[in-house]
Amino acid sequence: MLWACILLPQLAMDGVLRHRSDADAPLALLGGSPQRRVLQAVNPAARALGLRPGQSLTAAQALTRTFATADYDVAAIERWQRFLAAWAYAFSAQVSLHYPRCLLLEVQSSLRLFGPWPHFEARLRAELTGLGFRHRITAAPTPAAARVLANAYDGLTIPDSALLHETLGRLPVERLGLPREVAAALTRMGLHSLSQLLALPRDSLARRFSADVLAHLDTLLGNRPLALDFYRPPDVFDARIELNFEVESHQALLFPLRRLTADLAAYLAGRDCGVQHFTLYLEHRNQTASRMPVGLLSAEREAAMLFELPRGRLEYLQLPAPVLAIRLEALELPAFTPEHRQLFDERPQQSLSWEQLRERLRTRLGDNAVQSLGARADHRPEHAWVEQPTELSLPPCGPRPGWLLAEPLSLRESSLRILAGPERIESGWWDGGDVRRDYYVVETRAGQRGWAFRKVGDGGPLLLHGWFA
Amino acid sequence: MSDYAELHCLSNFSFQRGASSARELFERAARLGYHALAITDECTLAGIVRAWQASKGTGLPLIVGSEVRIVDGPKLVLLVENLAGYQALCRLITQARRRAEKGCYRLLREDFDEPLDGLLAIWLPEGDIRHVPWLRGRFPERLWLGIGLHRGADDTARLRQLLELAEDHRLPAVACGDVHMHARGRRALQDCMTAIRHHLPITEAGAYLFPNGERHLRRREELVELHPSELLAETLRIARRCSFDLSQLDYQYPHEVVPAGHNATSWLRELVERGAQWRWPKGVPEKAWAQIEHELALIAELRYESYFLTVYDIVHWARGQAILCQGRGSAANSTVCFTLGITELDPMRSDSRLLFERFLSRERNEPPDIDVDFEHERREEVIQYVFHRYGRGRAALTAVVSTYHAAGAVRDVAKALGLPPDQVNSLADCCGRWSNQVPSAERLVEAGFDADTPLLRRVLALTGELIGFPRHLSQHPGGFVISEHPLETLVPVENATMAGRTVIQWDKDDLDLVGLLKVDVLALGMLSALRRCFALIERYRGAQWTLATLPPGDTATYEMISRADTIGVFQIESRAQMAMLPRLRPRTFYDLVIQVAIVRPGPIQGDMVHPYLRRRNKEEPVEYPSEELKPVFERTLGVPLFQEQVMELAIVAADYTPGEADELRRSMAAWKRHGGLEPHRQRLTSRMLAKGYTEEFTSRIFRQIEGFGSYGFPESHAASFALLTYASCWLKCHEPAAYACALVNSWPMGFYSPDQVLQDARRHGIEVRPVDVRYSDWDCGLEPTGTVQPAIRLGLRMIRGLHEVDGRRIEEASQQGPFADIEDLCRRASLDARARERLADAGALHGLTGHRYQARWAVAGIEPQLPLFAGLAAPQEAPVDLPLPSVGEDLLADYATLGTTLGPHPLELLRGQLKAQRCRNSRELVGIAHGRPVSIAGLVIGRQRPQTASGVIFVTLEDEFGLVNVVVWHDLAERQRRVLVQSQMLRIDGHLEAADGVRHVIAGRLTDLTPLLTGLDVRSRDFQ
Repeated sequence: MLWACILLPQLAMDGVLRHRSDADAPLALLGGSPQRRVLQAVNPAARALGLRPGQSLTAAQALTRTFATADYDVAAIERWQRFLAAWAYAFSAQVSLHYPRCLLLEVQSSLRLFGPWPHFEARLRAELTGLGFRHRITAAPTPAAARVLANAYDGLTIPDSALLHETLGRLPVERLGLPREVAAALTRMGLHSLSQLLALPRDSLARRFSADVLAHLDTLLGNRPLALDFYRPPDVFDARIELNFEVESHQALLFPLRRLTADLAAYLAGRDCGVQHFTLYLEHRNQTASRMPVGLLSAEREAAMLFELPRGRLEYLQLPAPVLAIRLEALELPAFTPEHRQLFDERPQQSLSWEQLRERLRTRLGDNAVQSLGARADHRPEHAWVEQPTELSLPPCGPRPGWLLAEPLSLRESSLRILAGPERIESGWWDGGDVRRDYYVVETRAGQRGWAFRKVGDGGPLLLHGWFA
Repeated sequence: MSDYAELHCLSNFSFQRGASSARELFERAARLGYHALAITDECTLAGIVRAWQASKGTGLPLIVGSEVRIVDGPKLVLLVENLAGYQALCRLITQARRRAEKGCYRLLREDFDEPLDGLLAIWLPEGDIRHVPWLRGRFPERLWLGIGLHRGADDTARLRQLLELAEDHRLPAVACGDVHMHARGRRALQDCMTAIRHHLPITEAGAYLFPNGERHLRRREELVELHPSELLAETLRIARRCSFDLSQLDYQYPHEVVPAGHNATSWLRELVERGAQWRWPKGVPEKAWAQIEHELALIAELRYESYFLTVYDIVHWARGQAILCQGRGSAANSTVCFTLGITELDPMRSDSRLLFERFLSRERNEPPDIDVDFEHERREEVIQYVFHRYGRGRAALTAVVSTYHAAGAVRDVAKALGLPPDQVNSLADCCGRWSNQVPSAERLVEAGFDADTPLLRRVLALTGELIGFPRHLSQHPGGFVISEHPLETLVPVENATMAGRTVIQWDKDDLDLVGLLKVDVLALGMLSALRRCFALIERYRGAQWTLATLPPGDTATYEMISRADTIGVFQIESRAQMAMLPRLRPRTFYDLVIQVAIVRPGPIQGDMVHPYLRRRNKEEPVEYPSEELKPVFERTLGVPLFQEQVMELAIVAADYTPGEADELRRSMAAWKRHGGLEPHRQRLTSRMLAKGYTEEFTSRIFRQIEGFGSYGFPESHAASFALLTYASCWLKCHEPAAYACALVNSWPMGFYSPDQVLQDARRHGIEVRPVDVRYSDWDCGLEPTGTVQPAIRLGLRMIRGLHEVDGRRIEEASQQGPFADIEDLCRRASLDARARERLADAGALHGLTGHRYQARWAVAGIEPQLPLFAGLAAPQEAPVDLPLPSVGEDLLADYATLGTTLGPHPLELLRGQLKAQRCRNSRELVGIAHGRPVSIAGLVIGRQRPQTASGVIFVTLEDEFGLVNVVVWHDLAERQRRVLVQSQMLRIDGHLEAADGVRHVIAGRLTDLTPLLTGLDVRSRDFQ
């Protein structure tokens, strides 16, 4: 067996740099508490300025101000590791994420496909470099040894265990992958390399260190197997139905669509997840497929709804050519939180649920024509609502009109009756839109009730800002 | 026009609510012609003394009150009618505060079951009419319904409803403004404080913001427009009833300090007479008697006997516990305090030149001030004694009002305005640590901000308003108020953060104004070191020294001081002090008093240091600005150095009355927080110019006054400190081993690390012996050498990470008999693995097992003994072959585990390489002439950026022979910032400056030599 270890020493930084156009500008990733920000990773340009991981941001800024910062995102690191595992899966069926920031590949079995190891390794390096990830690669008969060697070497291949013993023996104890306190204890006994350690009587070592330490050394040397979990590619839904004949009408597409969406619903239910975006491909002869993305406002998995949406859209789609096959692809399957429903919830036969109505409206009028509304805690009427549902508590306030005008209109009518007011509103200095107004509830001659204001200290005419129902 | 009194008004002592200071509120209310102003901060009287001051300043009557919210009850404004009402209010607030966490309160309905006479209540209805019957029962004929109209949705309807409510319950209604700021212009600040209070960005705080800016002190026309005149007239009826004034408070000293059969006067006299016999066993000098009589007469006239007796009581108790202490402050330098044992400074000493009158004067209405320093490790015992002796109800700590500095203000404001955390941090970094100034535009640009964006302009404007505002109450480190009657009849008491402590709601300045006396029980590390040193000497030599008996005027000691050989002594150990010593060359005690006071912001900012030095060295004639100032400045050669001299100057040269001078003193201490020096500038300048003083002199004096503000350092304190300085110097000079040992045992304290103290001792020829479980106690100790000076045996306390309990057990076990081997040690001292490893790594087991590596191997092999096999020998192990640590490895391990090394100094190991690089050592500097180029290398043990020096950084290097002072000018520091900040070991190429025995290397180029000693743990005091 030959195991390759691909160590990704700058995974976090490389993941961030991939998305930056100015990858050569100094950049530091920050972690730690808001009070004490600490540099977690720096790119080479930042390193050249003297910045080091572990420095506090304050100390770093004492050195230089000319560097950019971004968040050190632990979740992103794991994401990138999985991303690379998916990449490595193409080269080996046994890819393990056993160690953080590192990939283990069983490569012996792949040598026939990808050529002798030096070629294989070169290809891995070329692709990683192309993807923008710095790396160190070592290979050894055991996965643990490959991992430990990557601490000290890059490009080293140890084909057999005799050479492995010799090479590991020279490694300093700090690099052996032992817990830090064990390595420190060994150093403080004057034991600096593995060979020194192995020269000692085993029972004397066993008396002084926990069983894990000897077990780890045995694993390294191949005297004990390492139990690995292997990577499995993530779930996606991708199903395709070939039609028996060339379909030109929308109607005829509904049946296969209903099957696909029902399959999707079943698949989602089986995995206890939902779908928020999926794509339908309508395949034509000699032409690129027509692509129809479908997006929902939240993750769903009910078959009827999954069908209803693309159905509505399908009707508007201009088919450029007859359809030969239909394919549904859902790449992201987020977790699904079912809505709480009463057991005996009444749902009249013919009525649509609110969700269905909402989605149907969106389908008919366009995605942006239907929005959720929410309230915002702001005393200024024009800032007191947003196009998103919110859960903020609101300030107690007086009566507000149901219809707020987009722009206040000046009220020229002379026979206005003032019903209430002035209600003074002075707020909003923080965004440059400070208002100082006295609001009145007014009644027109026609009996309409309006909401009008005048700037504080301004004798001008009232400006109408809204109508009460 | 209708008269009006505002009865519901918050000041900025309703933290994060009130957006104006009492002064601003009173000034505006007076300008608007209000009849009276109530300050009703929420469940607190912390701001009431300041309000009282503002009231006296403007002539507008103050009504004392408080806004409170009762748990499961209504919201009320309580107003104080008379003294009984004031006491009831103090009690309510105390009860509410004591049962809640610091900063919060819980006022319960049952708190109102006790008498509430003299307390008026305004009910602020919030739809809770069910409380009315209960309220009527508690406040018969003293309950009103408060109506606040703030141009809300429908004030007309609201007013009608409230009036109906009042009618229904037959309650009189009264207008009250719920004032949160003095003027509408504070609306933004008030909104911002609301956001800060709720920890929300302002864009999300809308639910908590007021809809408009009406909650300010409105013009009376506006009020008339909104309210029926009856509501306004009612405010006056209430205001007329509230006749209470804080001057009616009657503070009395505790009675315990006077035994039965005596009164305070006779008892003080008796104690002083006894003390005089004790201080002068060979007969009290005539002069001393005369002085005592004089002082006692003055004390009796000012009725301060009980104060002196209270301080005596504490000091007397501490002395009984063998806790070393030393008083300082205006009254401390009296003969009375000397005889009472409060201070050790003999006022009869010919070289003290101190006069009691200078500190306690009949005309100046200044309370006596005695701060007592105790050993820092035992101060808590003293504090608990005071609580115990007088009881919780009668003794409490003073509060300190924490105010917003620039950094904190900009941080809170920027966060409230939604800046991201990293930008908030960098904005705060743009402010100096204690700065009270909005960061400058240049500083902001340097940090990458554009000061002209609207957002940043808003941040800076609000920051400017917020700076100086009170933020919260914290406890004074040791200021006690002790009273005959329960304190809660004088001032509310609340919980401190530390368990077992209570704090009154007033700070030191407030106490002065109300006439409460405070005793400061402070902690001082040097006293711990001195007491330890005396004990070490007594044990080693049998000689008993005390602060008072050390021989004064010792030439060898002053020689040592003049050489700036002062590492580890009190006050004159810092780099700036050391640079001054060879120029000032102190010869007498009073020289030390000056030395202690001169290297401080006051004299430095006033440009007083160099004139003094020149005059002292006879390089310029001693002159006086005028003949009348000669007596004031004679003792400091015509140069004003002390805070007291500035006050005397104000009296002599600017015709201040003693009262005005006292006001100046107060303003000096407080101007950074409250401002208020401007009137003095005008008064002083105009009067002095009129009397013929030069403009240059007056402005210099004024800069100095401002400098005193931040670190006021009066002569009276300097004198007490100088005594400790002399004592520490004498001990360092004559008992260097004991002194270094005591310092190390008292660490953390002072300016230097144990490593530096021990290196210094070794340079002075003291032998230092390693930590060894066979001989070391927990503390460092002295061992005979056959010469005059004993050797220092390092104690187990030096071992990093070793717990004191483990160390003490080893100490105990070794006193039972020597350890046979390491098993024996571990068993008898019951050491766990952690302690064993620490001992092994530190080399403390060398005598039992051999070198570190062997020790670590051996202790790791010790297995826990099971009771069944107790006494059985452990199975024998084959010996193993472990390498020998190299010198370098030992050095690294020494620093890592002990923080010091007894082996060669790191620089000694590197000297060969450094010599090849043509680096000199610190000893060779003496032979190099002023102005010559020089290269030098050393460990960086200090980097300082003094606030008084613009941009220059002082670096202290240490090599095997001593310290080298390096000056890095601003430009170089900027150019080589990285090397300067990061290096642990530096090479400096530059040139030497030498004058008056002071040597500096002026850096021209810095080179980082840290790689030479990778891993060495040298702790540098960075920019402190």
